[in-house]
Order: sequence, then C-alpha cells, then structure tokens
Amino acid sequence: MKVEESLKKLEEITGKLERADLPLEEAIALFDEGLTLAASIKGALDEARLRVDRVIEKARGAFDLEPLDLD
Amino acid sequence: MQTTEHHVYSITELNRAARSRLESEFGDVWVKGEISELKRAASGHIYFTLKDEECELSAVRFRSRTSVLSAVAVEAGMTALAFGRLTVYEPRGRYQFVASLIQPVGAGALQMAFERLKAKLQQEGLFDADRKRPLPRFPARIGLVTSPIGAAIRDIVSVLERRWPLAEVLLFPSAVQGDRALDELPDAVERAVRFSESVRPLDLLIVGRGGGSAEDLAAFNGERLARTIADCPIPVVAAVGHEIDFSICDFVADHRAATPTAAAEVASPDRIEIAAGLAASVAAMDRRLRALHEALSTELRVRGSTLVDRSPARSIETLAQRLDHQLSSLPRAAARILRDRASTAAHLEEVLRLSDPRLPLERGYSLTYVEGSDRPLRDASSVAAGQRLETHVARGRVRSVVEEVDSE
Repeated sequence: MKVEESLKKLEEITGKLERADLPLEEAIALFDEGLTLAASIKGALDEARLRVDRVIEKARGAFDLEPLDLD
Repeated sequence: MQTTEHHVYSITELNRAARSRLESEFGDVWVKGEISELKRAASGHIYFTLKDEECELSAVRFRSRTSVLSAVAVEAGMTALAFGRLTVYEPRGRYQFVASLIQPVGAGALQMAFERLKAKLQQEGLFDADRKRPLPRFPARIGLVTSPIGAAIRDIVSVLERRWPLAEVLLFPSAVQGDRALDELPDAVERAVRFSESVRPLDLLIVGRGGGSAEDLAAFNGERLARTIADCPIPVVAAVGHEIDFSICDFVADHRAATPTAAAEVASPDRIEIAAGLAASVAAMDRRLRALHEALSTELRVRGSTLVDRSPARSIETLAQRLDHQLSSLPRAAARILRDRASTAAHLEEVLRLSDPRLPLERGYSLTYVEGSDRPLRDASSVAAGQRLETHVARGRVRSVVEEVDSE
C-alpha cells in the first residue's frame, strides 16, 4: 500500500476509534491495525531512498531510464 | 535708434525661446550613447553625460520619471538607449537631455521583448489564477526539466532526499541557457508529457535552473516554452534563478518558486512532519484505549466481586492489575512499536481475554441466583429451604430447590 493510502487508512481508524459506542473488541482490533499501519508507514519513511533517473527517448515514445549519479 | 531694427533679447527671453524651439523641433527622441560622469543626487535624480566618439550631451533623469522599465541599474561606462526630450535648462542656459527611460543596450532589447510577450500572453489569459492547478500532496513521481550538471538539480535532489525520498525523480535533460535552450526546454517538457502518458504518470514537473545573468535566464522567457507549459497536462512548478528573477515561465506555471530549492520544498511533503503526525495518531489511539480500559476495569471489579468466591475474585483483581500495568506502559510501548513492530496490542488483547468474567465459569465456578433476583447469591443465610435457585455454569443453567441451609 502506498504511504498516502496508509495515512488515509490510519486517519479513518483513529476516527472510528473516537466513536462513543465502540465495543471493546473492535477498539482493540482497530488499535492493533492502527499501530501496525503507523509502524509500516514509519518504516517506509525511514527506509526510502530517493531514486533519480535520467530519461532518454530513443525514438518517439520509446524511453530508456538511466540511473543518474550526481557525484 | 539704428539698433532698434534688431530685437534685443533678454537672457531669460532668449533661453525661453531656445527651449521652446528645441522642444517643438525635436519632441520626444531616442538617443544612444555611452553613459559617463554619472552622479546620483540625494533627491534621487541622476545627472550624467551621454557621449559618442566625438560629442557629449548633458542629461538628467528625474526621479519622478522613474518607470518600471527604466528601473534597470544605470552605470557609468554602459552603452544605453535613452528616451526623452531635448530641452534647455533656462537658469544656466544649458542645453540638456531629460531622459524618461534608460535601458542598457542589449539587455534593454531583451527587456522590451519580455514585456511585449508578457502583455500578449496575459491578454490571452495564460496567467489567469483560475488556470493554476494545485500541487499533489504526496507526489510519487517528479519530473525535472533542467540541466543534468547544474546547481539546480543538486539542490532539488538534496531537498527531496531529506524531505520525501519516497518519490522517484525523472530527469528530462535540457540546455538551460543560450539559443539552444529556447527549443530544448519546450522539447524536454513535451518529452516529459509523452513519458507521463505512455510509461508512468508524472505527478509534477519542475522546470528551472539556478541563478545567472539576465541573458542566461532569457531562454525561460521564450514564447514556445510558455505555450508548452500552458498546455502541459502535468502541474508545473517554475524555478528560475533567484528570488529577484521573474521569467515568463514563472507567470504561466501553476506555481512559481523563488529558487530550485524552494521548488523542491513546495513540491514535497516533509517526512519528519508526517512522522510527528503518526506519533500524534498513536497517542490519540492510546488515550482512547485507556478510556475504554478504565470503563472496563470498573465493570470488571463490579462483576468480578459478584461473580465468584474470594480466591477467584482475587485472581481477577490480579488480572485487572496486570491490565493496569500493561496499559501504563503503553505510551512508551507505542513509541517502541514505531521502531519495531513488537505487538503490545496483541499482548493487551491476550490480557483482556484472560480477564473476561466468563472465564472462571469455564474453570468450573458457577453463578447462582435466587429465582426472581438479578444479583448473584453470595450469602447462604439469604436463602431458605424450599426456595428455587438458578445456577449459571459455563454452558447452560441448572434450576434447583433448596433443601437445607448451612450459614456460617
């Protein structure tokens, strides 16, 4: 899942958790899901490495990617 | 009396007449020359001399005549094109040129072309605010149209590495100065659009370069680039030169950033901020669960004390204490979980399962009610022989009649 979607999901979960009539079992399940999501998002943020590619168009509409080394 | 045939002018009269002739004869004129003997008066007026190889002309530019176009810095030694009128400064009888506009030759021509194109595109509505599209919050793929070797790409990449390394950066190389760039820049934008449509969609395009002279940045004032950006289906951030530089490209783009660094910042979310948001979400979930736990503990104690005899009740208290302990360590646990996925919540679930008041029944304890009462029976002396009882066991209920009572 993309980070954007995970963040949206997490927002939904925290929203649901605020509901007044929430049964405990459901609350725990949501909490669990929320923590797992938060951890996976944090992991994705920490581990990401920026990819930089140079795009070469060999023929019109036919592209090649070449990693760009800036150093 | 002989001399009366000749009109004798007073100095004032003559100077005034000369001025009038001069002004009506020449009107407004353009004159080109080298600026020398430049003096800036405290009043803001600029006094200077315009000269060519053989002659000189005293000139002045009054502060009040300063227009946007003439705001170009005027310096001695530069060849300039000046627009104004020829006149006579009557008190001194000095013939001089009053300039309303001074443009360095070359840069001046560029500036005029710039203003003309700007006015034309503006009239066509290419700069309208309602054309500007919002930038995506979490761009997955960012296209760059710039030079592969300039400062701009380094600045942009370093900002994105820090803030949003989840993005993929795709460089569409182009010359960024000189005549070549006039076509290469729009070509690269068009290439990015083809890539976006046929390979992988781009969320955003940054078009720009680092700082340079007006001539260096001139390619970003090209009409073809402006129209290509206007037609570009991908939102465009323009980042040309420094804060003070404005290009046609800036006006037509969806967003103008002062520098390439600023462009990368406006184009990306900051992962540090996102992480802070995550911590806040976890804290909110934690608070909510605590509130639920508090309600549950109260219920546990009430139900636990009525449920079973002393020792199982104590064991329930022990469970409740364990639950308390477990929950009190939650904020720290939540922080830890963000680093590794140790499942405090799974533990919690286990503890809560163990504290389920139905569990003692499962172990063989039972709940007994005097028929018609909704409070469990705790004291033998509160029943008498012959009364009917209902006993709840793990599975099902038993109805019975009291034969004998042994109260302690």
